[in-house]
Amino acid sequence: MECVVQGIIEAQHVEALDVLLQGLCEGQREAVKTHEICLKSKPISSFADSRALESLETGTVASELHLLCDLSKRPHIWTVKHIGGAMRGTGAEQLPALVRNIVESKMSNNALRFFYAVGYKMDYELLRDGFAYRFQRAFPITVTVTSVCRLPKQHSIDEATPVTPNIQLVEVTAPATADNFSDVVPAISSFAEHLSPLVNLSKPGSFAGIVSTASTAAASLLSRSDRLEHRV
Amino acid sequence: MVVKWVLHWQPSAGAQVTSQTLVDLFRSIESMNGVRTGRWQITAAQHRPFTRDQAMAIDCAKELLGVAFSEFASKHYFVLRAERMVVEADSSIQAIMEKLQVYRNRLSMVFEGFQYQLGDFQLKAGRAVLSQAENLRGIVLEFAQVEYSPVSSIEKTRQMMQEFVDLWQEAISAQSMSGRISLLEPNFAEYALSDTYTWQHTALQYIFLFAYFLSQSQRA
Repeated sequence: MECVVQGIIEAQHVEALDVLLQGLCEGQREAVKTHEICLKSKPISSFADSRALESLETGTVASELHLLCDLSKRPHIWTVKHIGGAMRGTGAEQLPALVRNIVESKMSNNALRFFYAVGYKMDYELLRDGFAYRFQRAFPITVTVTSVCRLPKQHSIDEATPVTPNIQLVEVTAPATADNFSDVVPAISSFAEHLSPLVNLSKPGSFAGIVSTASTAAASLLSRSDRLEHRV
Repeated sequence: MVVKWVLHWQPSAGAQVTSQTLVDLFRSIESMNGVRTGRWQITAAQHRPFTRDQAMAIDCAKELLGVAFSEFASKHYFVLRAERMVVEADSSIQAIMEKLQVYRNRLSMVFEGFQYQLGDFQLKAGRAVLSQAENLRGIVLEFAQVEYSPVSSIEKTRQMMQEFVDLWQEAISAQSMSGRISLLEPNFAEYALSDTYTWQHTALQYIFLFAYFLSQSQRA
């Protein structure tokens, strides 16, 4: 399982967010460059829709299958991620974060060929380019700030261009279990408050828009950071 | 990783593979001063696509073979023979494949037995049985040179490994056992596996043996 909140930030304020995240201390910064391939099953019949197929088979919300290639490491690391439907029910709707089932597995570099062979095809692909911070609080929390890029031709990583050049995606995630998600959700919400001067974080799918006072907050953060650097 | 050869017991014409054969093989190893060091287990499984009506069927490979090693439990291996592919994944891939519901487990085979240390070599000897049944499907023997400059190159170790097999065969013949140990070596290059030995090579050898034992029992 994982708990997730998301938000968007103007690209001009990403540097300030980086400073803010550094300032939250103990966080380890890493580069993020991930080629993400979303897969869907290949029905033999043209009448069968792959998501509907899963829903009918299992009686559940359609899930997603993503293949991720971490391009920031050598050799590249492939991971397959099965993202289950969000937790449902009145209780879940009231939670400030999305809680969903997730299973991941690292795979050898023939992962894409494997999934093509077992009945899947590429639905779409994108490149996520940015950075991430990992925090060890009461629960491990990861903040990822990325530009989401489209690939003009299949797998053309080098030609990727941002879908929204002036906007980047901020995601805060934390692993959870059925036993502890009710503790992880408030931990993520509380953490998200630290970022509120620059980014509104909410459940995926219900974006709260950009922070209107982000420019002021960003200027303040950067100027404080400059002053600290000069002192050092 | 050191090179491993996975062999099987080939009974002579008219002879049968029995539990006594396995006991005799254990004795042949002990007669060469092999020291029993523990147990081992490997599970191989054959999966077939879920049967759906035509409107719901998915276009996928007709057979998916999987193998898991008790000594390397964090990983799982898949082999697609028609596609000439070996895939390594974390063991959580099984949970993902379960959720995808494209394949169902048709049958599983367990390889299990005892492990021995014999000079520079580590040996495994055991039986192959279908899970849910106790009928002996075959006898498997695996060995690797683990001490004194172990090498990962399949070709560079070939002569040394063959010499060890010949020595073992002599010990077996001395016990008047009706059969011989035999190697079913896959064409690793066809599966895009290099000369440097890995767990994927071991997975492919066990899958080949799994398929071989299944075909033998179907013939019988």
